[in-house]
Amino acid sequence: MSALEEMAMANDELVSRSLPVQEHMAMQQRVWRFERVGWYLLVVIVLLGLAGLFGNGPLSNAQTTSADGRLHVEYQRLSRSGTTDNLRITVRGSARKPIMLELDGSLLSKASIETIQPEPQASLSQGKAILLELGTSDDGVATLYLTLRSEYVGTLEGVVRAGPSSAVHFSTFLFP
Amino acid sequence: MDSILRAAGMYIALMLLFRIAGRRSLADLTTFDFVLLLIIGEATQQALLGDDFSFTNAMLVIATLIVLDVGLSLAKLNSKPLARLLDGRATLVVEHGRFLHHRMRRARLAEDDILESARDSQGVEKIEQIKFAIVERNGKISIIPAE
Repeated sequence: MSALEEMAMANDELVSRSLPVQEHMAMQQRVWRFERVGWYLLVVIVLLGLAGLFGNGPLSNAQTTSADGRLHVEYQRLSRSGTTDNLRITVRGSARKPIMLELDGSLLSKASIETIQPEPQASLSQGKAILLELGTSDDGVATLYLTLRSEYVGTLEGVVRAGPSSAVHFSTFLFP
Repeated sequence: MDSILRAAGMYIALMLLFRIAGRRSLADLTTFDFVLLLIIGEATQQALLGDDFSFTNAMLVIATLIVLDVGLSLAKLNSKPLARLLDGRATLVVEHGRFLHHRMRRARLAEDDILESARDSQGVEKIEQIKFAIVERNGKISIIPAE
């Protein structure tokens, strides 16, 4: 069959039949196109999901350091409502001296802290913020591991401060 | 309140997804399709109920789904264009013993699928014995044999 004949046949198939059922081929073609485009869309969503658009991947892993370099935070830029996320905070201070760390922002009021490790030496509240006293080792570095969980949908802001000069702002978007 | 929104969101999302999957996808359930359906149900259930396993929540979710489903079928009764949009129309795939290949390709149907249906429902052996084969709105293939 020549290419021309094949095209003619394909065109004939696009004509709506009325027997034994009333067809509407223009509509049917839109449906088929929707299925095809939708499939490609789903492939893109799955690939983006693998890349971490919805959390736990290269796209969502983020870190930020304060201007003076003392404070370092690793967090999830994108995540989902109802899942637990890891937050890692590293502060550099002087050896064997406790450091005061302040956690603030909507992240703290909207999310609950599920675990906090290591246990701070002391913790108290200051307005809406939480103040934590962390012990340091010989190299003067304190690391705090937090797991957070929130049912919130939208953007949550987090602020971490260690002293007046070191502050880090970050935000996490939670998908429903 | 959020369980109602969740159920409504899930209803719409699932409808879209199954629309993309096409009407043929789960029409003739193989064992594998059945397992797939169970897994889809399992994945849905967690997101529908959240961590609220109360009787009230379950009833709210079920009520929302029924309200939407019945509401949609009522709307389809009242509006023909809406029904056409959501259910589509039957499409011919065999005409007087001739396969309409272009259509079959778009509907993701192979010749074997149609012949299988023909054997199953009409005891038809050859394509020449089929007058019409129609993909119905629910994805089933109807066979009208030649006299």
